Amino acid sequence: MTAEEYVVGDRLTYDDWQEALLDGLLLGQECQDCGYTTGAPKAACPRCGSRGIDAVELPLEGEVHSETTIQVPPSGFERGYQVVVVDVGDARVTGRVDDPGVEIGDDVELSEGRETESGVAAVFERV
Amino acid sequence: MTRASVVGVGMTEFGVHEKRLAELFADAAFPAFDDAGITGDDVDAFYFGNAMSGLSENDTHLAPKIATHIGIPGVPCQRYEDACATSSNAFKNAVEAVEAGVHDVVLVGGVERCTPETGLDTPEMTRVFASASHREYEQPTGLTFPGVFALLTKRHMHEHGTTEEQLAEVAVKNHYHGSLNPRAHFGKETTVEEVLDGPVVADPFRLMDCCPFSDGASAAIVVSDDLADSYSDPVDVTGVGHGTDCVPISDKEQLSATQAARDAADEAYSQAGVSADEVDFVEVHDCFTGAEVLATEALGLFEDGEGGEAAAEGRTRVDGEVPVNPSGGLKAKGHPIGATGTAQITELVEQIRGEAGERQLDDAEVGLAHNLGGDSATTIVSVMEARA
Repeated sequence: MTAEEYVVGDRLTYDDWQEALLDGLLLGQECQDCGYTTGAPKAACPRCGSRGIDAVELPLEGEVHSETTIQVPPSGFERGYQVVVVDVGDARVTGRVDDPGVEIGDDVELSEGRETESGVAAVFERV
Repeated sequence: MTRASVVGVGMTEFGVHEKRLAELFADAAFPAFDDAGITGDDVDAFYFGNAMSGLSENDTHLAPKIATHIGIPGVPCQRYEDACATSSNAFKNAVEAVEAGVHDVVLVGGVERCTPETGLDTPEMTRVFASASHREYEQPTGLTFPGVFALLTKRHMHEHGTTEEQLAEVAVKNHYHGSLNPRAHFGKETTVEEVLDGPVVADPFRLMDCCPFSDGASAAIVVSDDLADSYSDPVDVTGVGHGTDCVPISDKEQLSATQAARDAADEAYSQAGVSADEVDFVEVHDCFTGAEVLATEALGLFEDGEGGEAAAEGRTRVDGEVPVNPSGGLKAKGHPIGATGTAQITELVEQIRGEAGERQLDDAEVGLAHNLGGDSATTIVSVMEARA
């Protein structure tokens, strides 16, 4: 399926985004007016406010922009996972790494979308 | 220019409290009334902050409940929620209300309980705090609030070479300041070695890099400039800036910049007609040591990338060139979420009046408070000055 095929309604929703992620695709939105690309579904562009934002498929590989390993987790999570912010193409996305140790600048790729009790998370692993 | 004046302040000790929310707030509000020389009858409106008690204590619609408990039923009540910037936003709106002539005398303040007195343990309260991160996008990753600020701080370390030792120096300094503050949650000093030996919470943060879960309340009486001279010891509010950035973190332009703080500071400095180098002391939102470093740079006290080194050199101690968090900050004074903003205002007032006891600064004419909420997406910066 292409990015647009996941969009059920007028624009990309979190349900659409989650479904694509569970299929192994990372969707985002690109602004027709200013070109900004977001990795988290919106109703309008967070840079310029334009409602002309198209669902796009983001690259599955990227470079770690920042990271931390969570040793005191919220209830429902087991300690010792890494949360990462990753530059993928023109967008920046957030996800997790199960086996901590990736550092800023390392290359990672999406391994899966995972159901948690709070929703679906993008899971990355070192390339 | 004076926008409003604070004529009374009060706060509880921050720490562990058995008292319920309304009872705790009374222990801040009544000292504020007494400090201003007013009674509840004089209060025209109540601007109240509470962030999490709907989740943590099943307690909402708190403003009228608390107004009734403290004897001011019938005044217009409004409750603000902007995560950790909650009572600063209440303060901002109180200042605007008296400035516009909507009200003459406003009670503003906040209360929160975050310790196991709520019945919630650390994982449960960590989950409550994480409700301020993006619901669909960030919460499924297991991101926590130490994690949020770790992501911002790690980026700062990468770009500027800030070190874990420099972060530890922030904790050491704030614990020292807290040891001078009888209302601080932590009254004990610490060392860099002790901070670096602590268990990791979310790297680079160890336990002692993190503020505690605290219970507490704070309150202030805000009046219009015209009325201020009829009170015994007014301190002027000359600027309040309010900045907002994108949520989630991945949509922020630069993780290490805390842009909302920069925007809020520009606005507050401009209103007050003061520049960063004219500020005598600041209270900043040091929920984590790295957050203080980012804040001091965003406020223009130090060049970008120099905040960590400045802390390590002692430039931010009570005896340094620009004292940062003379109260001990969130790190040592404590952080009962909804009470933190007006507790910063309380410290500014007490320092400017010369009533800060052992931690009193020699030169405290112009003070600034920086209170952020969530992942730094909300920041309110207030400038207060001795009344001319």
